[in-house]
Amino acid sequence: MKVMTHTKIIDYLWLILITLTLFSAYMAERAEPGFVSIAIMAAVLAIKGRIIVDHFMELKDAHPLLRTLMRTYFYVIPAMMILVYLFPEQIAKWTAL
Amino acid sequence: MDASISPESDFHELSFVNKTNKVPGSLAIWFAILAEMSEFMIMFVVYFLAKVHNPELFYEGPTKLNTLAGTTNTLIMLTSSFFVVRAVIAIRDNKPKQSANWLWGAVACGVIYLIIKVFEYQWNTAQGLATETNIFYGVYYYVTFNHFLHVGWGSAGLIWVIYRINTHIYTADEHEGLINMAVYWHMIDLAWITIFLLLYVIR
Repeated sequence: MKVMTHTKIIDYLWLILITLTLFSAYMAERAEPGFVSIAIMAAVLAIKGRIIVDHFMELKDAHPLLRTLMRTYFYVIPAMMILVYLFPEQIAKWTAL
Repeated sequence: MDASISPESDFHELSFVNKTNKVPGSLAIWFAILAEMSEFMIMFVVYFLAKVHNPELFYEGPTKLNTLAGTTNTLIMLTSSFFVVRAVIAIRDNKPKQSANWLWGAVACGVIYLIIKVFEYQWNTAQGLATETNIFYGVYYYVTFNHFLHVGWGSAGLIWVIYRINTHIYTADEHEGLINMAVYWHMIDLAWITIFLLLYVIR
């Protein structure tokens, strides 16, 4: 099997990032707010973050601690997006002064 | 030529990573990056808390922002990051001139980003949106202006790296400073893609 060159892979990843951004803009303008659109946007953020961390920062093959720390941001923030959508009142109650 | 620095070789043979400690660039830059990511994380926690306590304001807020400006700046940030990756590939391939050119592309993106942001802030003012309008716009201005500053000094850092390439301080064999700047710039990009979704897209 022919192996893709590094520059080719980076070019394709850039195209994916651009496409996901245009899709997000479409969602911002057109989509009805709801669980499905929040879940899709959370997935979009997770994918974009992972591409940049793994391939642009090249942490894919780096020290596991560093890789895990950076990847964690893009598990935690999408999870927070979904939790805040699903349980806003409960979270508001827990965080009221 | 060493296969590990050829952009045309197998991707898995390639890496910024120093094989002895498996850290791209220096450890110091990663302390800075993790500190900055934590700082942005605190802002995002503030955003989520403000959102659950003010659901109506955060539902309406994004609809009044300039989605076109936010989207354009996201495309610009992602493209600048792409240029920086290509600059790293070029220096590894012993093409310093090409590397500097890719970095000038990234600097141009940074400057365009800043100009669009200034226009966006002026547009907001014309729509009557300001820090004191409500808590959504307070959070929006705090987070985006903080990010604006990062793009400003990040662009200055890129110019410094170009100077070091042009004066032959960075070469195919030794360019740790370029890697440090590259991963720092990607961090600025990571913060922006998050800000874009939280403030402009989701409601």
